[in-house]
Amino acid sequence: MFLQILINALSVGAVYALLSIGYNMVYGVLEKLNFAHGDVYAVGCFVTFMLMDQINPLIAILLGCLVGFVLNVAVERFAYRPLRKAGRVAPTISAVGIAYIMRNAIQLIWGSETYPFNMSIFKTGSVKIGNAVIGTLQIYIFVIALVLMVLISLALKHTKWGQGIICISQSTETASLMGIPVNKVVALVYGLGAALGVIGGLLFCQYYQFIFMGIGFSYGTMKAWMASIWGGIGSLKGAIVGAFALAAAETFVSAYVSSTYKDVFVWGIFIVFILLRPQGMFPAASAEKI
Amino acid sequence: MKNIYKKLCVPVLLVLCIIFPLFVTNSYALTIACNVLVYSVIALSINLIVGFSGQLDFGRAAFVGLGGYCSAILFTSLHVPFIIAFLCGGLFSALLGAFLGLLCRYSSFDYLTLITIGFSEICRKLFQNWYAVTNGSFGFSTSRPSFFGYTLQSPRSIFYFCLVVLIICYIAIKRITKSKMGRAYMALRDDPIAAAYAGIDVKAYKLNNFIIASFFTGIGGAMLAHLTTFISPALYTIDESLIELQMAILGGLGSLPGSILGSLILVVVPEISRGVYQYRLLIMGIMMVVLMLFAPNGLLGRGGVKDKVMDAVYKKGKKRQSELQQ
Repeated sequence: MFLQILINALSVGAVYALLSIGYNMVYGVLEKLNFAHGDVYAVGCFVTFMLMDQINPLIAILLGCLVGFVLNVAVERFAYRPLRKAGRVAPTISAVGIAYIMRNAIQLIWGSETYPFNMSIFKTGSVKIGNAVIGTLQIYIFVIALVLMVLISLALKHTKWGQGIICISQSTETASLMGIPVNKVVALVYGLGAALGVIGGLLFCQYYQFIFMGIGFSYGTMKAWMASIWGGIGSLKGAIVGAFALAAAETFVSAYVSSTYKDVFVWGIFIVFILLRPQGMFPAASAEKI
Repeated sequence: MKNIYKKLCVPVLLVLCIIFPLFVTNSYALTIACNVLVYSVIALSINLIVGFSGQLDFGRAAFVGLGGYCSAILFTSLHVPFIIAFLCGGLFSALLGAFLGLLCRYSSFDYLTLITIGFSEICRKLFQNWYAVTNGSFGFSTSRPSFFGYTLQSPRSIFYFCLVVLIICYIAIKRITKSKMGRAYMALRDDPIAAAYAGIDVKAYKLNNFIIASFFTGIGGAMLAHLTTFISPALYTIDESLIELQMAILGGLGSLPGSILGSLILVVVPEISRGVYQYRLLIMGIMMVVLMLFAPNGLLGRGGVKDKVMDAVYKKGKKRQSELQQ
């Protein structure tokens, strides 16, 4: 029983981790709330959903990521960049507006029904270990998440762009003085964040076998936001650990305490955590001048 | 000239409000007008938190719900006299506002926003699942307000009731913002660290700001519950919070008449555009983005649309005058 719950928590955690890596990169770079993250990548998920039965699913996934990328770059250019220096309220509200636009667009194009979602490239099946059953899909999710995380951390460490991202997240002004093209890098981060979100969102849909217009906000933005704060804003390790912690809290609370009041307990734990350690478990390391 | 406008504006608007139900007898129109008045109270309370002390609260719908549920349960299930139940709705909301304020006074920015969202989600789940008290997601029917055996059944009487409550709340909030407390809130909004150095107890003011604003939100919620005579957890979602927040922002943060104008627009426009109902979120979204890009201070806020228009007109007049003099 315990092992089974742990396995479920790990696979949900892997999905959340993918969602929150993208979110946390965007969040960390400018420290601006991105309320629209989930709804933007939901558009990409729907594009993949529409195409996946007609063309090769892998191409459909790539196209979905591309749509997410382009969309988020455009949103960043027109709705966030002009407000970069405008305090905290204005960009947040503008992001909420974008979220509304995206959700309404999905509703207008694909309708507000809940569709069954099943991608043919994931083979069904299960492996038995002791008393616990591991679905093949759970293994897939875990491996995909792991590979993407390793790739991103390598890219952040060893490429010029990755170093640029880290530099901007520490200080935008200094970064621009050092000749880093701030606007280009920020746009890239937004785009990549959405593309990662599309992959995470598709895995989420595959895991729960449905897709509907609300996946972006309640299952995407909120979870990714919670995981980012839990783990530490702007750090890759924080996003991953936070996502697994969030998934573990959800799964274990609904298994052992109460599934009706799951959200109440998770939010309660979360609020207490914020009050005790607002910087998160693994805050982004930066050199402080003493 | 400008002063005369200002002095005339309030009595004229007041008289228009008072005679409005005498000319408009359509009960549908009157109900919408009542909604405007009720949402104005809610938007005013949000303005007190977001506009005056700068705490970005995304969970106000929870307090609307708390006020509504408390008042409705006391009045309908426990048969408490209306006026007591109504005030208890506000007080109960203020009590939980104090709890939230105690949590929020140590945090700021995104953390505070997230705590308020978490609080509102917790409240919504409790409304939904605590069947014994709230009747779960089926909702809860309540009745129209009544005083000493006289029930405000007609739309006209309830309009006057809402109007009176709005005027009282408006005056109270106006007095608060003009007092020492209001100036402390504004200092808190502009720069918390500088405010602390100026001897303002930042945490205490954050706390009492949450208490006072939650009281008014609760009053608004109780009015809403008795106006629609039905409450259900689906009315108190985060989207609802965002729409109420949008009313305050559209009118202009920090401007009290702005909140009323904002709720007027955001209640009436969706009603008259029922035909394009499926585009509602799209219109809202575009409005939010465009407003933030071009007029982040709203319609009546400082430096908002009205000020810009006034400035343009005034400058043009002045230019012409100086040209004439030359």
